[in-house]
Amino acid sequence: MTCEEFAKTGLELELSPDDGPLEVAAREHLRNCPHCASLYENWQALRDDLRALGVESHELEAPSRVEMRLRQQFRIKHGTMRTRRTAAIAAWALAAAAVLVGAISWINWRHQQASNPSGRQNVLTATGTSAPNPAPAGATAPAAMELGDIVVAANSGDFALLPGVIPPSLEDATVVHVQMQRSALTALGLAVNEEHGADWIQVDLLVGDDGVPQAVRLPQSTN
Amino acid sequence: MQIDLQERDDVLLRRSAKGDEDAFAEIYRRYQAPLYRFALRMTGSAWAAEEVVQEIFMTLVREPKKYDPQRGALGAFLYGIARNRVLKQIERAPRELSLENTENSPKAQAYATDPVTPAHWAELRERREQVRSAVLELPVEFREAIVLCELEEMSYQEAARALECPVGTIRSRLHRGRALLLAKLEMLRELPKRANAGH
Repeated sequence: MTCEEFAKTGLELELSPDDGPLEVAAREHLRNCPHCASLYENWQALRDDLRALGVESHELEAPSRVEMRLRQQFRIKHGTMRTRRTAAIAAWALAAAAVLVGAISWINWRHQQASNPSGRQNVLTATGTSAPNPAPAGATAPAAMELGDIVVAANSGDFALLPGVIPPSLEDATVVHVQMQRSALTALGLAVNEEHGADWIQVDLLVGDDGVPQAVRLPQSTN
Repeated sequence: MQIDLQERDDVLLRRSAKGDEDAFAEIYRRYQAPLYRFALRMTGSAWAAEEVVQEIFMTLVREPKKYDPQRGALGAFLYGIARNRVLKQIERAPRELSLENTENSPKAQAYATDPVTPAHWAELRERREQVRSAVLELPVEFREAIVLCELEEMSYQEAARALECPVGTIRSRLHRGRALLLAKLEMLRELPKRANAGH
């Protein structure tokens, strides 16, 4: 065995009485080479020191605070993940609910759209039938009848059309409650009993969009 | 939840990834001690070793999918992370020689309380310190081989798996590491003699 071979393999050998051929050759080399013998001796001492150092610190482990910190981080991470998952599910559920509500609202709206034109058509039809045949100036009863139809359609009660007024468009008309002396009705073209001309009465006036009274409704007691 | 002691690492890791804290704790208990010792012996600092261990396992918490069982054992994967973290620690911080842990170890306490051989104990401690210091001064690749094979007493195969290199590389690194260690120790031991001779 040469010094080079010994340096490569001999240092790792544990020499003992029952050696194999490699160990015998190494022992032979050690006997003849003082340099390698010194190297071997130093290495054995170093190896002992390394082993002792290894054994000395063999039971060392990470402080328990490391495990605590890691567990805390683990909980935070998985807690956050769970929260995120819940939040995502909640968001999807909310979105689905919103879509559902939207769809139902749209269907309702469509349904109303479909039913409303027929209702409006009724009013228009009623207006259309009365418009070409306006009531004569003095014939309040037929006019009131006609207007009554329209007003009933518009839930406005039994108004009597004022003389000389074309049946108004009910869309823009406004009902105004006023207190007035009975004699003031003459200014609207209505006949008034002179004996009760000074009485105060409650009157509902149907006022058109131009601010001019179109029809009048007298309370039952004042008729 | 019960943990089978023989349960495979990849199974535990899968459970851990799903939020099973016990599975994570079991993985930690299996590997923390050798990884901590490796980091401590490589950096010479208990604080740095603690940091390294924490970072290794935080990787498992944050990115468990980084480990692919097809590519090797979990131990080798963790040693791989440990090596990277240790290198960063070595680059980042100046080396600290921490003795507090070894002084608290039972063996060290046994030496310290032995009243018969105080001088012998002091000599031993001095030698160990020289060895520890010499190991810490080795280049990183030789230090890794010495730490794993000599201090941690791993076989060449185990060290090769941990360092992800061929067994032949471990052998040659060990050979060169030993030669460097011997030279350093000889130099350290010669210094006081020369100093005394000078006086």
